[in-house]
Amino acid sequence: MVDVEPRLEDVEKIRKELEVKLGNIARRIEYVSGAGLIVEVPKDSIRDTVKVVHDELDAYLRVIAGVDERPIKGVFSSYYVFGLDNIGLNIIITTYMDSENPSISTIADIAPSADWYELEMYDLLGIRVENRQLYRFVLPEDWPEGLYPLRKDVAHNIRPPPTPAEKGVITGPRIPVGPYHPALHEPEYFELYVEGERVVDVRYNGFHVHRGIEKLGESRFTYQQVPFLAERICGICGFVHSVCYTQAVENAAKIEVPERAEFIRSIILEVERLHSHLLWVGVACHLLGYDAGFMHAWRIREKTMVLAELLTGSRKTYGINLIGGVRKDINRDKIDTVLKTIKWVEDEFRKLVEVITSVPQVVKRASGTGILPRHEARRYSVVGPVARASGLNRDVRKDYPYAAYKYVSFKVPVYTEGDNLARLLVRVDEIFESINIIRQLLDQLPSGSIMAEDIEIPEGKIGVSSVEAPRGEDIHLVITGKGRPYRWRVRAPTYQNIPALKVMLKDAPLADAPLTIASIDPCFSCTDRVIVVDVSTRKRKIISLRKLVKLEGNGCMI
Amino acid sequence: MYDMSLLKPLKLIRIARRAGVVTVRYPYQPPLITDEFRGRIVIDAKKCIGCGACVNVCPSNALTLIDDGDKRILNYFIGRCIYCGRCADVCPVNAITISKEFELATDKIENLNSRVVHQKSTCCSCGEERVATEKMISYVVSRVPVSEAYAHMGSNCRKRRFVEGLMLGRGMLHVETEK
Repeated sequence: MVDVEPRLEDVEKIRKELEVKLGNIARRIEYVSGAGLIVEVPKDSIRDTVKVVHDELDAYLRVIAGVDERPIKGVFSSYYVFGLDNIGLNIIITTYMDSENPSISTIADIAPSADWYELEMYDLLGIRVENRQLYRFVLPEDWPEGLYPLRKDVAHNIRPPPTPAEKGVITGPRIPVGPYHPALHEPEYFELYVEGERVVDVRYNGFHVHRGIEKLGESRFTYQQVPFLAERICGICGFVHSVCYTQAVENAAKIEVPERAEFIRSIILEVERLHSHLLWVGVACHLLGYDAGFMHAWRIREKTMVLAELLTGSRKTYGINLIGGVRKDINRDKIDTVLKTIKWVEDEFRKLVEVITSVPQVVKRASGTGILPRHEARRYSVVGPVARASGLNRDVRKDYPYAAYKYVSFKVPVYTEGDNLARLLVRVDEIFESINIIRQLLDQLPSGSIMAEDIEIPEGKIGVSSVEAPRGEDIHLVITGKGRPYRWRVRAPTYQNIPALKVMLKDAPLADAPLTIASIDPCFSCTDRVIVVDVSTRKRKIISLRKLVKLEGNGCMI
Repeated sequence: MYDMSLLKPLKLIRIARRAGVVTVRYPYQPPLITDEFRGRIVIDAKKCIGCGACVNVCPSNALTLIDDGDKRILNYFIGRCIYCGRCADVCPVNAITISKEFELATDKIENLNSRVVHQKSTCCSCGEERVATEKMISYVVSRVPVSEAYAHMGSNCRKRRFVEGLMLGRGMLHVETEK
């Protein structure tokens, strides 16, 4: 077990409270270590249960996972994972649905962040969500109707012939599911509706690179191969996903991971945060037209990349994580090099930050733009630096401690302004905190083995684990199966943050949009194409983000 | 009076001068890789016994086993390799080493494939069924107390011999002995 369990008396208190409030509807309320408090309810009472958990207990929505359990239980099921930050407890509401015609009522009006999960559940599993509008979300538009890829009776390698999509609706490029390599930038696609220079609404059209990774992990890979697949979910914070997956399996199977391996995982996670935040600082400077800052941020970042290679054998996609521990040890020489490098990074970055925060165009453009007020941040359950910049003190490393974070002390930077500058400052502070954490971890690094012996994974167990990625909370839910996960649900942080962009962009000048979109660090990349729709004339034009940056760059120099 | 804070961004000039040029003239200078770097793998054909342990752990199917008549071929396709080095971890005879080579671009796809061809032995009893590779059999015989003849026998013949032995013991089968 990697994750620290919440205190038993806290769990008991919540369990009693739920029993009082849900006594007549819940079929089962049981604490499962490694996962959370499981509340099983009939599907008709899902709304009442969610109201109690979300509104009365003030738990926030972490992830919803639909599962095709027909081969084992003969039903479809759905797991709603809520989190109680203050005691580090997951409340998992499970409910079963009919195998022929699965359906469930919506909870998106109670917890707005459920919107995407429900659409995804319908798209991939064919679970109808009632009392709300359903449309194609993840799958491409020419995917045949009635073929739900995450169902167990659908093979992972089918390639259905495309069916012609309806005409008349203008949407993004249509790209079939499959491995697709969008060189350099990731395809994300925003439609901004404007009145003159003012943004009135935003529509997101994404998932052009849906690769069906969950399906692959459930059908072709084995337990110890999935960490390498998980690492490829994200090009910047891949190690986060592989740690999160291995921890979820370790939680489900109750595998004891050696302490030294936990420390090494934490050290690599922090090195990854360093490079990711430095990358973001550079990109933010670039978007603000301050390319000198961009160059120097990346000059400093390069040292952390070399450091990662020294510790793991690769600059990215480290490939050192397995269920039960890690594959590469850290010796004395490496510790000395790490200490020397992070000292250099700390000094250089401190000097650079002083300069960046004194450049008028950076400060003026970033402050007061893209504001996300605290109550909206809570409503959308945003995570990571976006939440912390809006006054929510949320950090998985503190709230649901995992790996070696229980042995170190660190500050969680919180700003209340909720604007782009606050999000920048949160990340700057976190870089210094990360350096601090790496020092403490190296100092306390225990001796011993780095890999657990005897790894046995029983079937049908559930495990939930979360990791604080540079972009926020990453959460994986695993139901174990034979030789490979039966269900593996991945929720990356950006999934939770993008819906909140609506609030940040609304009523703001168009020129601030690129920076605001970038400020959530959308697993970065390419918000590269933006459609601008003038509401008064209904004219659409596509501008590349680069051109948009130029437009405002000139504006700001005047 | 001047507002001195306006001059603060100029500090960058000093930072830049101190840092100097940080890029190298690659490819004219050697690339910056550390000692720990993992590049392509190299399979020692002399050591390899064709057991397929590496094929089982390979996450990306870069290593595949092809059974072709009396040959067993271990194929390594660099195009799929993710350079994780799991194969080197599990190889029982340390035939796989991780090199530091990473400049693998080529205009011929054949350059991305490397093969180790093994000769498969035939069953010593029926002479038809293909058993494991010769090298694998000698590896097993050197480590486990089984006779070479038994290790050379195909699984069908082993089953048949076992059943026959059982029947003989119970008197259900009579062996005609030459007089």
